[in-house]
Amino acid sequence: MIERIVYNIIQVAVVVAFAPLVEGVTSRLKEILQSKRGPSIFQPYRDIWKLLHKDEIVSEQSSWIFRAAPYVAFAAPVFVALLIPVLTRYPLFFAFMGDMLGGGFVLALGGFFSSLAAVDTANPYGPMGASRTRMVGFLAEPVFIVVFLTVSFVAGSTIPYIVQTRWVTPIANFFEPAHVLLMIAFLMLILAEDGRIPVDSPSGQFELAMIDRSKSLEYSGRGAAVMKWAGAMKFFVLICIFLNVLVTPWGLAQGMGVGEVLLAIPLVLFKIFCFVLVLVYIESSLAKLRLFRITEFLGAAFVISVIAMITQLSEI
Amino acid sequence: MNSSPVLFALDALTGALFLLTALGVVATRQVLASLQLFILQSLLLALSAVLLGNAQGSIHLFAVAAITIATKTLLIPWLLRHTVSAEVYRTREIERVLNIPSSLLIAAVLIVLAYVVANPLLGAVEVPFAQVNLPFGIAAMFLGAFTIAVRREAVPQLLGLLAVENGVFFAGVAIVPNLPVIAELAAAVDVPVIALVLGMLTRRIHARLGTTSVGDLASLREH
Amino acid sequence: MELIGIVVAPVLAGGFSLLPVGRRFAAPVTVLATAGVLGLAVAVAMQAARTGRVEASGEWLTCDGLGALVLLLVAFVGFTAALFSWGYIAERGKRGGPRNVQHYYGLYNLFVLSMLLVPLLANVALMWIAVELTTLLSAFLVGFEDTPEALEAAWKYVILTTLGAVLALLGFLILYWGSRVAGVEAFTWAGLIEAAPRMPPALLWPAFLFILVGFGTKVGLVPMHTWLPDAHSQAPASICALLSGVETTTVLYVILRLLPVVDVAPGLDARPWFIGFGLLSVAIATLLFIHVRDFKRMFAFSTVEHMGIILVAAGLGGADAHLGAAYQMTGHAIAKSFCFFAAGVTVLGVGTQDIAAVRGLVRSSPLAAIALLAGGFAIAGAPPFAVFMSEFVILKAGLASGQYLVVGLLAVLVVIAFCAVMLHVNRMVFGVAEQEMAAVTVPRSCKVTLALAAIPLLIIGIYVPAPLYDLLKAAASAMGG
Repeated sequence: MIERIVYNIIQVAVVVAFAPLVEGVTSRLKEILQSKRGPSIFQPYRDIWKLLHKDEIVSEQSSWIFRAAPYVAFAAPVFVALLIPVLTRYPLFFAFMGDMLGGGFVLALGGFFSSLAAVDTANPYGPMGASRTRMVGFLAEPVFIVVFLTVSFVAGSTIPYIVQTRWVTPIANFFEPAHVLLMIAFLMLILAEDGRIPVDSPSGQFELAMIDRSKSLEYSGRGAAVMKWAGAMKFFVLICIFLNVLVTPWGLAQGMGVGEVLLAIPLVLFKIFCFVLVLVYIESSLAKLRLFRITEFLGAAFVISVIAMITQLSEI
Repeated sequence: MNSSPVLFALDALTGALFLLTALGVVATRQVLASLQLFILQSLLLALSAVLLGNAQGSIHLFAVAAITIATKTLLIPWLLRHTVSAEVYRTREIERVLNIPSSLLIAAVLIVLAYVVANPLLGAVEVPFAQVNLPFGIAAMFLGAFTIAVRREAVPQLLGLLAVENGVFFAGVAIVPNLPVIAELAAAVDVPVIALVLGMLTRRIHARLGTTSVGDLASLREH
Repeated sequence: MELIGIVVAPVLAGGFSLLPVGRRFAAPVTVLATAGVLGLAVAVAMQAARTGRVEASGEWLTCDGLGALVLLLVAFVGFTAALFSWGYIAERGKRGGPRNVQHYYGLYNLFVLSMLLVPLLANVALMWIAVELTTLLSAFLVGFEDTPEALEAAWKYVILTTLGAVLALLGFLILYWGSRVAGVEAFTWAGLIEAAPRMPPALLWPAFLFILVGFGTKVGLVPMHTWLPDAHSQAPASICALLSGVETTTVLYVILRLLPVVDVAPGLDARPWFIGFGLLSVAIATLLFIHVRDFKRMFAFSTVEHMGIILVAAGLGGADAHLGAAYQMTGHAIAKSFCFFAAGVTVLGVGTQDIAAVRGLVRSSPLAAIALLAGGFAIAGAPPFAVFMSEFVILKAGLASGQYLVVGLLAVLVVIAFCAVMLHVNRMVFGVAEQEMAAVTVPRSCKVTLALAAIPLLIIGIYVPAPLYDLLKAAASAMGG
C-alpha cells in the first residue's frame, strides 16, 4: 500500500525530471539527422535554469489568467502522470482516480488555460496561435475519443493499466488490425497535439507560421521557464500513453520490489528513445503542411481510427 | 476455424493496410503517389495470398502470389510509366470534385456498407480467412469505384479501376482458392491489357487535348 | 468442328491485317473471313436448332440454342459491318493514312472474335474474360475518329464497362464458391444449373445481383447506361452497328443465362428484378428520345430501350415471352445495324451528326433518305417489320400470363418511343432544306451493304423461315421457357 504511494510519487518525479531530457534528445537527434551537430542534450535544463533566474515582466493589462496559466499548464501533465502507467505494469495508488478520458480532459484543461492566457495579452500573435491551436484541437478531439473508446471496448475498461495487457496476451493480438490502425491514428494525433512536423514546426521562429509556440511568446523569466517545462512534460506524458498503453508494456516493472521499479526507469527511457528515433525520422522526411491541409491530415487520422473501430466491432 | 491465430492476425493486418492503401488512392493529390500506393496494395495482395497458402498448404496460392507480383507490381507500373508520359506523373490534382475530408468520410461509410454486404455471405458458409478477406476485398472494391467517381485525372481513375480488381482478387483468394489455373492465368493477363489500353488511351488524350483531366471532359450531353 | 473454324478465321484475318502486305488487302480479307464465319455460323445454328446442342471439344467450346442464335447474329452483323467498313473507313480513314486502317481491321477482327467466343466458351471464367476483351478490343475502335468527343467517349466506355465487368467478376467468384459448396467442381453453365438447388441462397442472391448490375452496365441498363449514348454515337458507323447491334446483345445473353440458374434455386425469384430494370431502361430511354439532338445518339438510346424490352420479356416468363425475347433480339440486331449503316451514309453525305442540321435528305441523298426511313420504321417498331411482330408477341404473352400493369406500361412507352423516333426521322428525311446540300457519292461497298442488309430486314417480319423458327424456339427453351 505504502509502496504504491511511493512508486506513484517516484513516477511523477521521473516525468518532471526527465521531460526536458527527452526534449533535448529529440532536437539533438533531429539536427544529427540533418547532418548538423546540434545542441547538447541537457540544453533544455540549462534554458530552464537560465530563465528561472531572469526577471519576469507581466503586462499591466493582463488578468490573473495570464499569471496562473503556466502553473495550470504545469500541473496538468503532473496529474495525468499520476493516472497512466509510466514505470509499473500494475495500477498504483492514484490509478483509479481518473481513467483515460479523464486524463485527456485534464490535459485539455492545461491547453485551454494556455489559450486563454494567449488571448489575454495584447500581442497579435497570441490569439492567432490560440485560435489555430483550438482548430487543431477540435479536429483532434474526435480522433482521441474514437481511439480511447475503441481501446476501452477492447479491454472492457477505461483504465490504462487494464488496457495495456490486452495487446500482448497472446502475442497474436499485437498484429490485430485494430491495434495497428489505432497506433497509426494515435501517432498522427501526437504529431498534431504536440506541434510536430507535419502540423507545425517546433524549431521555427517565424511567428506568423506558429501554431503552438506563439502561445508562450509573452512569457518571460519564471513564467517562461514553467511554460517550457510544461510543454516538455506534455510531450513526455503523451509518449508514455502511446508507448505504455497502446504499443507494448515491455520494460515496465512487473513486481513490487523497489529495485525493479528503479530498473524500469532506464528501460522506459530506452523505449522512449526508440520512439524518438522514429519520430525524428518522420519529422525529417516530411514538409510542414499548409494550414488548410491540416484538416485533411486529421480527417485521415479520424477515418483510420473509425476503421479500427469498425474492424474491432466486426471481430476480425 | 483459424488454424493458426498468428497467421490470421497477420492476414487481418494485411487486410487493414490493404484498405488503407485504397483509402490513400482516394485521398492523395499527387498522381505519382497514387501509383506507388497501388504497387503497395498489390504487394499486400500477394502477401495475403502467401499467408493463406501457408495456412492451407496450397501451392496454388503461392503461384497466385507470384503472378500478382509479376504482373501488378512490376509489369503494370512499367507499362504505365512507358505509355503515359512522365509529365503526367508530375501533376497534382488541385481541384477536386469533392474535398478530401468529405471524400474520406464517405469512404468510411462505404467501408461500413461493405461489411453489411459481406455479412450474409459470411454467415452462410464457413471458410477460413474469408472473414477477413471478403469484407476488406469488397470494401476496397467500393473505394476503387468511389475513386473513379471523385477523381478527375486519368491515371488515378485508371488506378481506381485496378484497385477494384485488386479488391475482387483479395476476396477471391479466400473464397475460391482453387480457381482453375486457366482462369487464373487469363485473369492475370487481362489486368495488364487493361492497363495497356487505358495507358495508351491516356497518351492519346494527352497528345490530342493537352490535358489528362478526363473528369473535365463533359461535352457529350443532351442540352 | 465448325466451332473451331469460327474461332480461327478471325484470328488469321486479324493477323493478316497487321502485316505490311495487309495494307491494301486488309478490307477484302476481313470481308472474306467474316463471310466464312457467317457460313459456319449458319451451319452451327441449323445443327443447334435440330439437335439442341453443338459441341466441338466438350470442355472448351460448346453451343446450345440460345448461344447459336447469338452466334448467328454476331456473325451476320460482323459480315455486313465489315462490308460496310470497306468503303466507309476508306473514306474516313484517309486522314490517318493506310496504317490507321490496318489497325482498324486488325482490331475489328479481334473484336468480332471476342464477341463470337462469348456464346461458345463453356467455362464461365473464360467467358468473362471474353466479355472483358470485347471492351478492351473495341476501345480504340470507338476512339477511331480521334476527335476530343470520341476520346472522351472511349475513356468513359472503357472505365465504366470494365468497372461493371469487375463487379460481375466478384459475382461469378461467389457463384463458383457456392457451386463448390454444393459439390460441383466444373465451372460451366450446366454445372451451375446443377448446383443451384443446393447452393446457399445467401450466396446465390448477392452473386446474381452483382452480375446483373455489373454486366447490366455493359448492356446499357439504366441507371448504368451513361456511357452508352456517347460510345455508340462517337464510334464510326460500322463499329456502332457492331456495338449496338450485337455487343450489348451478347452481354445480355450472359445475363439471360442466369435466369434458369436462379429459377432452379428454391425461394429466389429473378423476374421482378428483370422486369424492374427493363421497364426503367425503356422509360428513361423513351424520355431521353425526346431531347436528343444527334441522330446516332438517338439510335443508341433505342438500343437501351430494346435491351430493356428483351429483359422485360425474359422477366415475364413462359415459353411465348421467351420466344418473343429471342425474336426481338434477332429483329433488333438486324434493324439496328441497318439503322447505323443508314446513319453512316448520312454522315458521309452531310458531314454532321446533328439532327437539326439535316433537312430534306430525300432531295440531296435519296439513298440515305430511304435507308434512314426504312431503318427508322424498323427500329421504332412499325409493322410489318420484325420488331413490331416480336413486341406484339411479348405483349400478348404478358397479357396471357396476367401481368397487366407491366404490359400496359410497356405498351405506352413503346408507343411514345415510336412517335419520337418517327418525328426525328421524318424531320430529317422530309422537311425543307435550309441550304443546298451537295450530292455525295456513296462508296459502292456501302450501297451493297445496305442492299444486302435490307433483305433480312424486310423479310424477317413477314416470314420466318422454318430453321430460324426452330432456332428461336431452341433459344427460348434454353432461357427456361
